[in-house]
Amino acid sequence: MTKTANGIEVEGIVVECLRNANFKVELPNGHTVLAHISGKVRRNHIKILPQDRVLVELSPYDLSRGRIRFRYRS
Amino acid sequence: MNDSHSIPSTGDHTPGTGDHAVVVTRVSDTEWHAMDGDQVVGCGDASVRPDGRLFVGIDAWHGEVFARVAEAMTADLPAPLYAVADETDRDSVSAWQRAGFTTVRREWGYVVPTDPQVTGLGPVRPPAGVVVVPVGQAEEAPLRALDQVLHAEIEAGPGWQAMPAQVLPCPAGTTVVDPSKYAVARQAGRYVGLLRLAPLTRQPRIGLIAVRADLQRHGIARALLADTLDALHRRGTASVWAEVTESNAAATALFEGIGARRAGSTLEFVRR
Repeated sequence: MTKTANGIEVEGIVVECLRNANFKVELPNGHTVLAHISGKVRRNHIKILPQDRVLVELSPYDLSRGRIRFRYRS
Repeated sequence: MNDSHSIPSTGDHTPGTGDHAVVVTRVSDTEWHAMDGDQVVGCGDASVRPDGRLFVGIDAWHGEVFARVAEAMTADLPAPLYAVADETDRDSVSAWQRAGFTTVRREWGYVVPTDPQVTGLGPVRPPAGVVVVPVGQAEEAPLRALDQVLHAEIEAGPGWQAMPAQVLPCPAGTTVVDPSKYAVARQAGRYVGLLRLAPLTRQPRIGLIAVRADLQRHGIARALLADTLDALHRRGTASVWAEVTESNAAATALFEGIGARRAGSTLEFVRR
């Protein structure tokens, strides 16, 4: 887990793709957050699938919500 | 954030989501931050695509912060501005619309089966005189020559802005960055069509299918698809991903005719 200017960033694994452009992402501590895709990921046509390892920025207002900022290659 | 490079944007404040006011600041030529106290609660960025269009993106935890970042960016940047959003993400779509953006294009995302029993592509063969060179076996020089021909045709015709394919940033005059990702159709010693496949582990992605204008409607794209999908099926890949502009009737018919299923859509917006 990393604290950055944008908030708390943590790696996780996508466990489910939901219908409304949201994703369930499981964090290393076992918690699951509801995350959507960042603008850069969307603009670059990066497809997120279950089992993808991703970097999630957690909402400072609700730690059960997040934003996928990066998808790792493996 | 680098405060030393901060440039006040509009100088406006908006009620924050907590006890603070949100202040939007341009922190570089291409980035804007919305600050609630010392916390970044929203950010925007802009980038120019190789086709020359200026795309913007905004990430914010609240709609009103999104609106403030959009207001600052549209005041600072020259029109037209472009943006994209998943059509099922109603919050994002309505946020862009409230910021004055209107829809100009829709891309369908397709899950394309690879099984010839499903696609019906098993019996498909290239037209007479055409040979399909599988992914990974294309020669670089004729591939780049074809790429330049296709680019010239597209730029003289519909233009890249109407293309769903990624416009890859690479040396001028070519989009071919990795010849090993291409299957090609060869006729009389020259390449006349290509298919670019991003070999992602869980679901490969078809990034581009293109055939020389004078040889379209002869079944070359279909033959490229048949060969590529069959090879993937034999390696155990069940499906691939592809994006098609809704207005491209020929491509839509090609994919839907082989059993591709619409699994998503992306809207492209413009603010003029």
